Amino acid sequence: MLKLQKLTRQFGENLAVNNANLEIPDGQMVGIIGRSGAGKSTLLRLLNRLIDPSEGQILFGDADIAALKGRELRAWRSDCAMIFQQFNLVGRLDVITNVLTGRLYDVPAWRSMAQVFTPRERAFAIQALDRLGMAHTALQKAETLSGGQQQRVAIARALAQEPKILLADEPIASLDPMNAKIVMDALRDINRQDGITVICNLHTLDTARNYCDRIIGMQDGRVVFDGTPDLLTTQMAREIYGAEADEAFNEAATSTALPASVAAARVMA
Amino acid sequence: MSIAAISAVTDDQIDRVRADHPGAFATPLGTIRRWAPLVLAVIYVLGSMWYFEFGKLLESSERVLRLLRAFVVWRDMDGWAYDQIYVGIAQTLAMAFLGTLLGTIGALMIGFVAARNVMPVMIVRQIVRRILDVLRGIDSLVWGLVFVRAVGLGPLAGVLAIFVSDLGTLSKLYSEAIENIDRKQVEGVKATGASQLGVIRYGYIPQVLPVFISQSLYFLESNTRSATILGIVGAGGIGMIIIERFRAGLYDQVAFVVLNVLVLIFAIDWVSKRVRLWAIGEKHDA
Amino acid sequence: MTYTPTLGGSSAAPGDGPRDAVSTFERHRAELRASKRLWNILGLVAFVVCLGLSIWVSRFYPDRLAAGVPRIFEYFGTIMPDLQWSVLFEGRTEEGRAVPGSLTFWYTDFWTYMRLIWETILMAITATLIGAAVAFVLSFPAAANLAPNSWVYWISRRFLEICRGIPEILLALVFVFMIGIGPLAGVLAIAIHTMGALGKLFAEVNENASSRPVEGITAVGGSWAERMAYGVVPQVAPNFFSYALLRFEINVRASSIIGFVGAGGIGQELNRVISFYSDDRVAAVLLLVVLTVTIIDLISERVRLNYIGRENFQ
Repeated sequence: MLKLQKLTRQFGENLAVNNANLEIPDGQMVGIIGRSGAGKSTLLRLLNRLIDPSEGQILFGDADIAALKGRELRAWRSDCAMIFQQFNLVGRLDVITNVLTGRLYDVPAWRSMAQVFTPRERAFAIQALDRLGMAHTALQKAETLSGGQQQRVAIARALAQEPKILLADEPIASLDPMNAKIVMDALRDINRQDGITVICNLHTLDTARNYCDRIIGMQDGRVVFDGTPDLLTTQMAREIYGAEADEAFNEAATSTALPASVAAARVMA
Repeated sequence: MSIAAISAVTDDQIDRVRADHPGAFATPLGTIRRWAPLVLAVIYVLGSMWYFEFGKLLESSERVLRLLRAFVVWRDMDGWAYDQIYVGIAQTLAMAFLGTLLGTIGALMIGFVAARNVMPVMIVRQIVRRILDVLRGIDSLVWGLVFVRAVGLGPLAGVLAIFVSDLGTLSKLYSEAIENIDRKQVEGVKATGASQLGVIRYGYIPQVLPVFISQSLYFLESNTRSATILGIVGAGGIGMIIIERFRAGLYDQVAFVVLNVLVLIFAIDWVSKRVRLWAIGEKHDA
Repeated sequence: MTYTPTLGGSSAAPGDGPRDAVSTFERHRAELRASKRLWNILGLVAFVVCLGLSIWVSRFYPDRLAAGVPRIFEYFGTIMPDLQWSVLFEGRTEEGRAVPGSLTFWYTDFWTYMRLIWETILMAITATLIGAAVAFVLSFPAAANLAPNSWVYWISRRFLEICRGIPEILLALVFVFMIGIGPLAGVLAIAIHTMGALGKLFAEVNENASSRPVEGITAVGGSWAERMAYGVVPQVAPNFFSYALLRFEINVRASSIIGFVGAGGIGQELNRVISFYSDDRVAAVLLLVVLTVTIIDLISERVRLNYIGRENFQ
């Protein structure tokens, strides 16, 4: 159970996240929607503690995540994997090493500095890659892969962390519909099969509706909607998205909705 | 079943994955190849430490401390002959200025002779270039030493040293700038029936002048640095004062002068950066 | 720069009464020319004053120059070898004497020079390796975007600036006094200078590195050192390598002259030869130094181009 209490983050005058109170039970797949600048990204970064909250608490079990420091903080980050819109892989390292970085927290310092990984860790990384259908690229440099492939490697890196929670910050915003679908399917698969909580920022509404158990709407830093997809009325969604509504509703833009045959062919391939 | 945990990976699975993806696992050869450069570098450095007798550094720690103390404790500051020090600094600046100016004037002429598009005679060009290579290959400090032997101690030798080493480098840079110009403008001037000198004056100079100026300004900066040390071989400037005081064991004064030199170098860096930015900005405006 | 507003043309003109385009243009042109002339005159005056002061301070007077220049040519005449084609390749005679006019005679001390040049190159390699290693370590705290906190940043930046600011030869002078005459003083001096110069360049490369991989490593729970090793180093390594090679070229030059203050290498011999003799030995050593520096430059340039080329095609 992940619990946010009065979580607030201020940038100068601007309240990026304003008094967020949420309870997310284990194993849920949550989609966060809202227009750009609504604070979705800041919220996820607060959860992974890439940025520090100005006020409020993040509770996971009994631990106050917001107060963690040093090694404990890194332990939390390794439990709480994150994938990014721009993948944030190390382009000049090969794919397998990128996935192995997911193990850094557990690897003793001398081994990580010398880039020495055990056969067990390597096999685990390959298995993670294999699950995303990327094992054949293991020895390529990450920067030579396409966007969709890089995002799958990033998910494999997250799996290598053995996370309890997986945060995804606009994972499909830079991808074409076909790759977007592959990535979202992978996230749902991880959520369903491994029971890992997935919290996902999404720009398009239909993706959130299709994949998530629960949708959280944000507007100007505040949580304005929290419920199952069927509770989210069109009227409500229009309000959340404001001026960007048409773009967000336009299913052709960056959504995962594909003609079934194309998607099937792609997945088989 | 597929709850992935690293602890659940069996040895069988490892073997199977290794069989499928042998390249993803460390091999003895790969490990050696990865570590060889680092190991060799470390061995080399250790070996050279032995060769250069790094131990001497530890043995002489008492002298090191004594010298450091002498640098920090300043005595009799009234009698330090400040006028000499600041005249030395002024002389350093003057040497850099005159040397760069002479080098620029010389390079203006030689640069054209060394440029392929101005000097068609291959042999002349090659000879000039080889001479420039030699001028450049010899450090300005060596030139300083040579000119001290030739014309005696003092700033004249320093100016000549800066002049000669600048002549080598600036001429090369200038000739490259001349070779990279736009041919069409030159043809335009030629078409008016201008003489070779006229072509250079109206076809080449306007195009290359900004490059020349910015390069010379840059050299003025780096020459100030060279000028501070030229005195060590007796070629005038603040370096001469440093080495005199050092030989006389006046270490506190040496420290003071070196601090002044550092301030001078940082100041010149700063001013030169500003001036170059300003010059670029001005060019942009016009 | 104060005259730039007038360059703005009609838009900058205050509207106080009607005027036609030609007179506006003429007025601006006149203003522009006047201000330009003023700046030109000011610049010229400043230049002449600088020139005058420089000539006065450095006593760069025509008569001194007139007396000095002929002596320069005279001096260069005396240091040139007196080679004779007929005996150019003569070896030593049976008594072990070299024939005057032969290469053997000119380069009597050839193997001494070669040993010193070898020492010079070793000095440059050692100093570059040590300096680059320290610069590598310090370049991370000295990069504004990577430093763990502002204190560490400030201290490492200032440290590098000081290392870079002090001329090598001055450092060598101090080291020679401390630990005695010999190459160790030179190695230390050049290593410290290299530390500062490369550290600053490396830190700038680090500041230009993409922050995304670093963020990625942060998000998996990597420590600061792991962020640097996995997020930054792979991005910057090629640049570091070519900067270090460039520095090596510079250091070969530096180590060939650092012997002037007794800090080892061929410079020590060069200084001795120039200061005590006025004969062909000077040209002999100078020629070897120029050749060494040129050859090292060529090799290093080759390696650099090869390496960068390979990196770009991968």
